[in-house]
Amino acid sequence: MLSKRDFREILTAELISVTGGLFAGFLLALFTNQLELVPGIFILIPGFLELRGNISGSLSARLGSGLYIGALKPRFRKNRVLNGNMLASAVLVVVVSVVLGLVAYLASWFFFGLYSPDLVLIGLLAGIISNVIEVPLTIFTTFWLFRRGHDPANIMGPYVTTTGDIISIVSLVMAIVLAGMV
Amino acid sequence: MTEKEGRKERRIPQHVISKIRRHPRKKFHAHLHGLRKQYGLSKMTFFYMKEYGPRSHVASNIVKESIKILILASVLSSVGGFGLQEIQRHIIAIVPLLVLLPALADMIGDFGTIIASKFTTALFLGHIKLDKWWRSRNLQVLFHVVMAVAVIAAVYNGVLAYGIAYIKGFAFSAETFIKVMEISLFSTLMLVGLIFAISVVAGIRIYRRGEDPNNFLIPITTSIADLGSLLIFSGMVLLFFG
Repeated sequence: MLSKRDFREILTAELISVTGGLFAGFLLALFTNQLELVPGIFILIPGFLELRGNISGSLSARLGSGLYIGALKPRFRKNRVLNGNMLASAVLVVVVSVVLGLVAYLASWFFFGLYSPDLVLIGLLAGIISNVIEVPLTIFTTFWLFRRGHDPANIMGPYVTTTGDIISIVSLVMAIVLAGMV
Repeated sequence: MTEKEGRKERRIPQHVISKIRRHPRKKFHAHLHGLRKQYGLSKMTFFYMKEYGPRSHVASNIVKESIKILILASVLSSVGGFGLQEIQRHIIAIVPLLVLLPALADMIGDFGTIIASKFTTALFLGHIKLDKWWRSRNLQVLFHVVMAVAVIAAVYNGVLAYGIAYIKGFAFSAETFIKVMEISLFSTLMLVGLIFAISVVAGIRIYRRGEDPNNFLIPITTSIADLGSLLIFSGMVLLFFG
């Protein structure tokens, strides 16, 4: 049976999640001028935010399981499983970012009549930038939580979605600026 | 028997190791079950060693298993982006809507996971009767709790989004504020209600078939949350500001 405690826990989790999301929204509002420069960018944004959360969430879950059963040591050097995970995250983000960029480019062309091939380059650059920031952050936080006796599975889910949203938006803006220079 | 002899008895014979090594990674060899029992390995450890052990290529295993679902999930979210592109003019002009959007998507996704897992646990514990589930007190309480949290979170989201936009220089207007609050409230309640209905109806059907509803409900509710939050939000913006 649900109790007052359940109500408090669900409410607290939701309010924290909303606060993190509002910060990401604030960044979106802050960089509106840059976002407006690229036609069709609003087709790319939701998929890109989803991608970042999914890749970091799975990475953290895999590392957490490995640490928990003792098959993975919380260290950065000479760690075959960790290196494999980092390589996989890099490959996945590059491939899926390009696919997302292509989908956004084709959809904005066919459905909205906006010709914006830059979306493919922006998707790729944003994917690489966000990966360089988010993957080490996820690994470091997972190891740090584990070393302090916490179960990363309980904390990393909301953590990666919130940090992922913020880093993705900053990466998209940086990618738009870089693509403008290319 | 000495300790050393005891350890020798537990050593896996070489011909067994060779057989296991020749066996394809994805197939479960008959010997493996016995080895797992003999060496007291948990299923999780065994799975992890099979998947990421010394003879497997970690990165390629992860990429092969993840790439399809990642592309599918991300492209589905991009479909929700079509709605956003349609209302781009509005969400850039009315800043609170832009601030509100990522928080709304996150919140609905979290509600999907909470409803699906709470409902499934109640089913497993026998707190919900399968024949007259709509009369279940537990289900009614879950609905009331979720809806109460949804109202508070939607109001919090709307007020803070407008406050942030105001700090950023967006002028205050009572009419726009009420519209933003209505969009936040109605979008949240519609989506939470939809996710609740799908979780209950689909969860009971799957449970009756003897399967674990968690395996189906979590992915389906989060997908509906991702796509639905963008589409319903876009529809609401067109309705109130179009």
